[in-house]
Amino acid sequence: MNNLDVKLQEIKKRGKIGIMTHVVIGYPSLKDTEKLVISMANFGVDIVELQIPFSDPLADGPTIMKACEESLRQGTKVADALVIANKLAGKVFIPLLFMCYYNTIFKYGIEKFIRDAKNVGVSGLIVPDIPLDEEPYEHFIAICKKYEIHGIRVISPATTGERLEKNSKIASGFVYFTSRQGSTGASLKLNPKLSENLGRIKKIIKIPVAVGFGISKKEHIQQLQGYADIVVVGSKIIDIIDSSARDKMLKNVENFILKIKI
Amino acid sequence: MKSHFGQYGGMYVPEMLIPALQRLAGEYEKARKDKAFLKEFEDLLKNYVGRPSPLIFAKNLTKKLNGAKIYLKNEGANLSGAHKINHCIGQALIAKRLGKTRLIAETGAGQHGVATATVAAKFGFSCTIYMGEVDMDRQRPNVFLMEQLGAKVVPVLHGSRTLKDAVNAAIKDYLENSENTHYLLGSILGPHPFPTMNRDFQSIVGKEIRKQLKTTEKRLPDYVIACVGGGSNAIGAFYTFLKEKSVNLIGVEAGGKGLEVGKHASRFKGGTVGVIEGYKSYFLQDSDGQMQKTHSISAGLDYPGIGPELALLHDKGRIEFISATDSEAVSALKLLAKTEGIICALESAHAVAHAIKLAPKLSKEKIIVVNLSGRGDKDIFILAKAFKDKNFYEFIKREAEEGVIAYE
Repeated sequence: MNNLDVKLQEIKKRGKIGIMTHVVIGYPSLKDTEKLVISMANFGVDIVELQIPFSDPLADGPTIMKACEESLRQGTKVADALVIANKLAGKVFIPLLFMCYYNTIFKYGIEKFIRDAKNVGVSGLIVPDIPLDEEPYEHFIAICKKYEIHGIRVISPATTGERLEKNSKIASGFVYFTSRQGSTGASLKLNPKLSENLGRIKKIIKIPVAVGFGISKKEHIQQLQGYADIVVVGSKIIDIIDSSARDKMLKNVENFILKIKI
Repeated sequence: MKSHFGQYGGMYVPEMLIPALQRLAGEYEKARKDKAFLKEFEDLLKNYVGRPSPLIFAKNLTKKLNGAKIYLKNEGANLSGAHKINHCIGQALIAKRLGKTRLIAETGAGQHGVATATVAAKFGFSCTIYMGEVDMDRQRPNVFLMEQLGAKVVPVLHGSRTLKDAVNAAIKDYLENSENTHYLLGSILGPHPFPTMNRDFQSIVGKEIRKQLKTTEKRLPDYVIACVGGGSNAIGAFYTFLKEKSVNLIGVEAGGKGLEVGKHASRFKGGTVGVIEGYKSYFLQDSDGQMQKTHSISAGLDYPGIGPELALLHDKGRIEFISATDSEAVSALKLLAKTEGIICALESAHAVAHAIKLAPKLSKEKIIVVNLSGRGDKDIFILAKAFKDKNFYEFIKREAEEGVIAYE
């Protein structure tokens, strides 16, 4: 049982939806990433997703894309991601996940990456572009299992019943459900079919379900209470970082977290 | 229908896209066996595109180089000026079968965008084309043409603002709108089934070469040479000859300004295996797997990845890959224009450049076929700059001034 399993049990027991937030490693700087994650943990976030910046992030909208670009421009390396995860794992008690694109893992060496991620204290990996159909070629899910790190499945409103079944068989930790079709990014209103979709998914997926894409305010989180186990707030926090003066950034993110917590 | 070429290819996309791609693959699988579909496709190629494109004996160029006989397969004679129209027709028919109402596409040089806008107009789809801002600046005439054909051209402002970023933007649109939208991907890359489907639609080029050469020379070519960006024109020309061991197949990549990082687009010289934009192949990337900047004078070859089937054929040694520099391409274009009266696309000029190097080394009995993937009208601005043509710029200045007055 790793850190994430403990957290998921805690969320279930308290009966209140869990909050997962997101940072792009090295954005606006490596030092800031560290401070942001510590703040998030101190202000009651349950899980943090550390995104390793990538040059071609095809599931991300403009906000996260720009953050990735800026982080890479400053020279952020995959090695930095492991160093920072290691540091943070020693400073915060909440589970940390890596979010990255498959090429980052493939290029590093699949088994080596998963082993190193595990060794620095990362509890799970969210990799949007490795569907289960490539498992016979990549053995990604099998290697995650071997190192007892959660390979988080990402599903969407377009996922058919048959593919839900297939994903549920190999799902581990929780399942990440995107509230809408498209890429990441804050939105004003949630997909009107969201609760209906979640009902369909919950019939098949028996582990916790996290909902992400477009979550930007407390009302969204309130709407999801009872339907989802975890909400994911990603782009909205980067929007706050982007619109904050550098010396107010942490405070603004902390205030936002306090405001959305239910 | 296989989704992989050895270890390459695949469908490395978010779960969100899998249902749409599986539906597309399933429909194509049915269509390729459907006689009515094949008949309609062939009929459009003949009566709309104007196929077969001519195979021209380059008599003057051959004489000048004093070696192997050179033939030119002129895809520039097609409607919309390049080979791209072949897979656009095919995919538009598939999109119709799937009940889609909107086409989207990425474009680099603009040739694929123009071809997509062409079929959208012809078959009544609405159309959005994604084009990197850098490419829009280089290829304004094609932007104008796409707009006249009724397409909306969206500038892509992220990343290197070239073809790969346009692919990324188109994938995101597809993620969001796959219900009513067909992504008319423009090369033999991206996730399955695009590499296979586009190869099949392009293979007409090689089949025609085979037939036309049989008529004139009563035999197979010894060499087929094509430029390689993503690889659609190359696989089109090569595919029918893969099993003919006597036919040497040569792909010419963009050598740009030299083999330093960021100055070329030679994936087989500077690239390593990776998984990007939905498929596994060779990519120009750093040790962290980040895509590197590329350069070529021709927007169509300026791409860090290459079709997965070509990656496999490279590893097997069936296709030889070499490169030609920007200046070699420009010189080749000039020579071809002066000797044969054909102004080819800068992309295609890379293939011509290699033929110019190769032909003198071969005996006069040998036959080289060069695939001219497109015509060069679109490159007039780049060429005027390369040739430092003062009169051209004075003309542009006058035109611009008059245009501004009319505009105001």
